[in-house]
Amino acid sequence: MNDKVSVDAIAAIDEQVKRASLGDGEAFAAVIAHHYDFIYRTAYKWCGIKSDAEDVAQDVCVKLAGIIRQFDGRSAFSSWLYRITLNAVRDRQREAGRNRRRTDALALVSADEAPPDQEDAVAMGELWAAVRRLPPQQRDAVLLVYAEEMSHAEAGEILGCKEATVSWHIHEAKKTLRGLL
Amino acid sequence: MSDNDDRLAGLSRLEIPEPDAAARRRALHAAMSAFAASGEQKQTSPQGKSLAERLRSILKQKRTWIMDARIPVGTAALVLLLLPLGYQLYSTTALTPQSQTQVAASRHPAVAPQAADTAAPVAAPAKPEAEMQVTQQAPMADQSVMAEPAVPPAAAMAPMQESARAMPNADFSANIAAPASAPLARESFAPQVLAQQTMPSGDSFAHYDENPVKVTAEAPVSTFSIDVDTASYSYVRRMLTSGILPEPDAVRIEELINYFPYDYPAADSAAEPFKPSIAIMPTPWNDKTELLRIGIKGYEPPAADIKPANLVFLVDTSGSMDEPDKLPLLKRALSLLVDRMGDKDTVSIVAYAGSAGVVLEPTHADQKAKILTALENLSPSGSTAGAEGIALAYQLAEQSRIAEGTNRVILATDGDFNVGIDDPDALKTFIAQKRDTGITLSVLGFGQGNLDDATMQALAQNGNGNASYIDSFKEARKVLVNEVGGTLTTIAQDVKIQVEFNPATVSEYRLIGYESRALNREDFNNDKVDAGDVGAGTTVTALYEITPKGSGGELVDPLRYGNGEQASGSGNELAFLKLRYKLPGETASKLMETPVTQSLAVDDIAKASDDMRFAAAVAAFGQSLKDSAYGTMPFAEIADLARGARGPDPEGYRSEFVQLAETAGALKGGK
Repeated sequence: MNDKVSVDAIAAIDEQVKRASLGDGEAFAAVIAHHYDFIYRTAYKWCGIKSDAEDVAQDVCVKLAGIIRQFDGRSAFSSWLYRITLNAVRDRQREAGRNRRRTDALALVSADEAPPDQEDAVAMGELWAAVRRLPPQQRDAVLLVYAEEMSHAEAGEILGCKEATVSWHIHEAKKTLRGLL
Repeated sequence: MSDNDDRLAGLSRLEIPEPDAAARRRALHAAMSAFAASGEQKQTSPQGKSLAERLRSILKQKRTWIMDARIPVGTAALVLLLLPLGYQLYSTTALTPQSQTQVAASRHPAVAPQAADTAAPVAAPAKPEAEMQVTQQAPMADQSVMAEPAVPPAAAMAPMQESARAMPNADFSANIAAPASAPLARESFAPQVLAQQTMPSGDSFAHYDENPVKVTAEAPVSTFSIDVDTASYSYVRRMLTSGILPEPDAVRIEELINYFPYDYPAADSAAEPFKPSIAIMPTPWNDKTELLRIGIKGYEPPAADIKPANLVFLVDTSGSMDEPDKLPLLKRALSLLVDRMGDKDTVSIVAYAGSAGVVLEPTHADQKAKILTALENLSPSGSTAGAEGIALAYQLAEQSRIAEGTNRVILATDGDFNVGIDDPDALKTFIAQKRDTGITLSVLGFGQGNLDDATMQALAQNGNGNASYIDSFKEARKVLVNEVGGTLTTIAQDVKIQVEFNPATVSEYRLIGYESRALNREDFNNDKVDAGDVGAGTTVTALYEITPKGSGGELVDPLRYGNGEQASGSGNELAFLKLRYKLPGETASKLMETPVTQSLAVDDIAKASDDMRFAAAVAAFGQSLKDSAYGTMPFAEIADLARGARGPDPEGYRSEFVQLAETAGALKGGK
């Protein structure tokens, strides 16, 4: 993730976010240009399909345009962004589910994601597919904790629930995934 | 179970294909147009709704919001019944706590006695505290309300000498007292504070009052010690360039003025290390008064005569130094200094806090690689107390002492003075004792947010060294390369200035800045009283705002029963300047005196020298930043005045000042 970004750069971005939230268009452009990759990568992990991830990323960017003025700096910008991205993923998947595309998409383990010559990678692909099929709250908890390597407390902050609730979701998820683990 | 975890941990290693550049462009473009559109509709459609919907959707998936009936109707009805009842009980019985306003009201009066208590032992009267509240409010209140001086100058005169003198010692107590009252002041004026964007920076500054106007007939003599510190300017610059107006107490005008080199005539020999350069011109911010400038430039010995130096770097390696503008900058700054050192010089390094102890034993400066490696290996870690860091540093300085040279400890820190002596007064005493044995102390301040300006100043003043604030590599070069002479070679010690004004020609005067360096009249001739040192090539400038007799610019009314004391001096003399200094290593001071005559004055600002006009612009800048009661100027005019007075300006310091004045103007809203 972006933990290698220097302290300076973070301060600069925070400044940009602040200015964007006050309505500065240039600062907003800089903020989304800087965070686009983060949004896209998160979306990809959740959806597993490149085109969906790109669409989600675009949704998030457009959504940000409307609501960045409400960002008040009480939580870290990155946590806030996670929340918005996860919501966007869910919205899109709900829509996709209605269109009966979702199940099809999840059934596919796309070629670029799992090189066929590696047994391990295939197994990983199955795991990913299974994780993405989990109920949304369990999926979000598992992905934040294992894919994004957060603590339960950090994940709880993003999901808006208690640390114990995150642990519970993960426990439930592990039960569901037992066959695959 | 841990196996499961291992499998799941694999989730963090996902190969993610790069997003299409076109998709990225599309997204950014769509976002920008949405942003522009939302800006236009801002007034008509509140944006809160969509966010609320989003947040809700993460909490549940099955039921819709409207149908969510987890709060049964019965409970709701019960609550409706109980709430008023409960409130009634609550507000009519002894359960009732003091109301908010009562609490606030009873807390306010508590401030003054508390502050007075802490300040009392150091003889600073409670007045500064009360005034601090005034100045806290001043910038927030309508600017025009601010016109009258906070204290009637005549009344303030007597206590002023006393309290100003106590200032260096009062620094710490003021520090303790300040937090007690500051939050309260902030509380009651919170909205205005935000509007003014003088946010609390986390750095602490001792409060001080500006020198008041004095009536020549009553107190004709002004005495102060010179000051070679420049830290305030770099701090102010840093705040302004990051878009924040500095706190008034962070602006020390003499440090702003002394930041800049001036082209005063240099002395001819080391025996008479400087000669005063005097000029008078009309005051730019007050057309009834004049500015008197006293400038001195330290003698610059030829390279061959430069004495060897024995430097001990005492470096703060606490966790808070782990920021790009702290330890890394410090390393580069010190390596600049090491580069400039000669074969006879020695360097040692002591770290305190974190990796405490001797990092480099005294090493001759010709082994540059060894020194630089040691410097490079300093790393910030933890916040554990470094044992006896300062004692260790002085011990090394003692060990490699150069009898005929400069022996100095250079303390580099971001404000953590956890050097092994906890009591600030004990620390100052320790440093002052060491100073008397010939080892001086300079302080380099780094970073922002933790800086303890008052302590930094107090330590450097007690150690006869300079306090500099290093905010950038450029500043490091200025302090440690361009002005290295001033750091390494002292040409005069305990330099004091005494000016006696002639009541026949000057009715009032005011020393600009130097609040923390005021001396008693009798201290001037007392060689035991310590004062500032001047390094080779250093320039020091002091400005007085004087009110010529009969100009009508007097702030103090004449006495009804006074007998209009007749001056004995020549009618042509405005003042008489006396300077006292000691040559390095000597204990008896020498006296230098010269009259200040009317012939030195010019009647138009344009006729004054570049140096004179520039110094005046810097003073005006400082006063305007502080919203001084003694006159401010629009920043645009300050910038113009300075722009016309840049002179050759090879280092670009003055051009930078012009920009800074413009920045300050923009931040103050064009005022």
